[in-house]
Amino acid sequence: MKTLLPWLLWVWMAVVIWAAFFYSPLAAGFIGQSSRVLFFHVPLAWTAFVGFLAAAVWSARYLFFGRRLRDDRAAAVAVEVGFVFCVLATVTGALWARIMWGAYWNWDPRQTSIILVLIFYGAYLSLRGAVEDGEKRARLAAVYALLGVVVTPFFFFIVPRITYSLHPDSVINSRGEVDMESRMLQVLLAAFAGNAALFFWIHNLQCRLRALAEGKARP
Amino acid sequence: MWRLASNWAAEALAVFAKDWRCEFRTRYALNTLALFAFTTLVVVSASLGPLGTSAARGASVLPVLLWLILLFAGAAGLPRSFVHEEETHTATALRLAATPSALFCGKLAYGLSLVWALELLVAPLFLAMVSLAVRSPGLFVLVLAAGGFGLAAGSTLIAAIIAQAQGRSTLFAVLAFPVLLPLLILVVELTRNAVAGAPAGMALHQLLLYDGTVTIFGLMLFPVVWNP
Amino acid sequence: MELGGLGWIVIVNLVIWTGLFLYLLRLGKRVKELEKER
Repeated sequence: MKTLLPWLLWVWMAVVIWAAFFYSPLAAGFIGQSSRVLFFHVPLAWTAFVGFLAAAVWSARYLFFGRRLRDDRAAAVAVEVGFVFCVLATVTGALWARIMWGAYWNWDPRQTSIILVLIFYGAYLSLRGAVEDGEKRARLAAVYALLGVVVTPFFFFIVPRITYSLHPDSVINSRGEVDMESRMLQVLLAAFAGNAALFFWIHNLQCRLRALAEGKARP
Repeated sequence: MWRLASNWAAEALAVFAKDWRCEFRTRYALNTLALFAFTTLVVVSASLGPLGTSAARGASVLPVLLWLILLFAGAAGLPRSFVHEEETHTATALRLAATPSALFCGKLAYGLSLVWALELLVAPLFLAMVSLAVRSPGLFVLVLAAGGFGLAAGSTLIAAIIAQAQGRSTLFAVLAFPVLLPLLILVVELTRNAVAGAPAGMALHQLLLYDGTVTIFGLMLFPVVWNP
Repeated sequence: MELGGLGWIVIVNLVIWTGLFLYLLRLGKRVKELEKER
């Protein structure tokens, strides 16, 4: 069964890719086919946030449940992989912004918040790079990851209130209802599931590689 | 129970007093903060003056500049409180002598007094040098107080972290910026409201919430940062 | 909806995805081997 899972993921994502272009309708208010970017950009962004959260969970586990270095390793890898997803989300977002609004960057609140997550990721990695001692590095990085998770909600819920958003109404609109054509929603959620699975697969591989490399370093 | 509480308060107060005593010997932080703030003030005022910013644009841009000055002055002067301990190896003594939460509060109080002193110096000067009229002075003072608190709280915790990590000031800026950004946005909005005479609205609640969150988080996790 | 253009995009995406997928599979195999060695 375990060997089947990756292939299942392949089929899943292949279907999602096809569905993004042939099954889902176009979203209203977008130029041509450009709304299809939604199925790439949004899941990438959501997965980047998931990575951020996962890093915080592993950080908390490290700090409060045994100080096991493998939890610290999992947190660090989650940030690294999440960083890649975050960059991709930002780039796809900027490309879409270029098509839709004429400029790559507009300081629209959602663009700003993904940049914030990106900056947090980067700061976390800088912190890790600055501490040599493994235990100390794990401890400090874990605290910082948790600090990040505590602070970013302010950003997600404050900023959209203040500035006018160019972003289309989110999947869940201001009334709290799901406001998207059902086919689009299906593909979007399926794409998100696939992205998240991909994230954890890469995360798992990278953690194991890291563990092996550290194992080899010891005599 | 009261004995414990008063011991804790005594410890926090002792840390606060010690930091100020050290500060008065060298006046390093005060000088750094004041010099930095004043220099940037002059630059801002000199560069804006000749351009003759309209009142409308001024009202929206100048609050940003004020807080940038405070932010960078804080980044220049605040981290020292922890880094200095590590550099002079007094940190070990502190670990033995003080309970972590009292230590954090003492350091926070010290940072807070520095920030508020800085604001007391900078804000009036700023308003005068760029000719900015504030319609709601009450709100303005409140924002400075609460915003300054958030600045101090966030900076104290980050200072504690980087002090354990060779305390480089560039690392402080890198770590502090994302943490302080929500504060900055809130505080600029509120300052704009104060200048325009508009009500504070939700932003004030969110600012206070931010202050409370960062402080509680700092109190809870400082022992983890401090003790190996 | 111009089928030709969209079709190409889908194919390119599938190729990219499959490439990534196969790479990860190979990586997984290599990791498993290395783990068996230990």
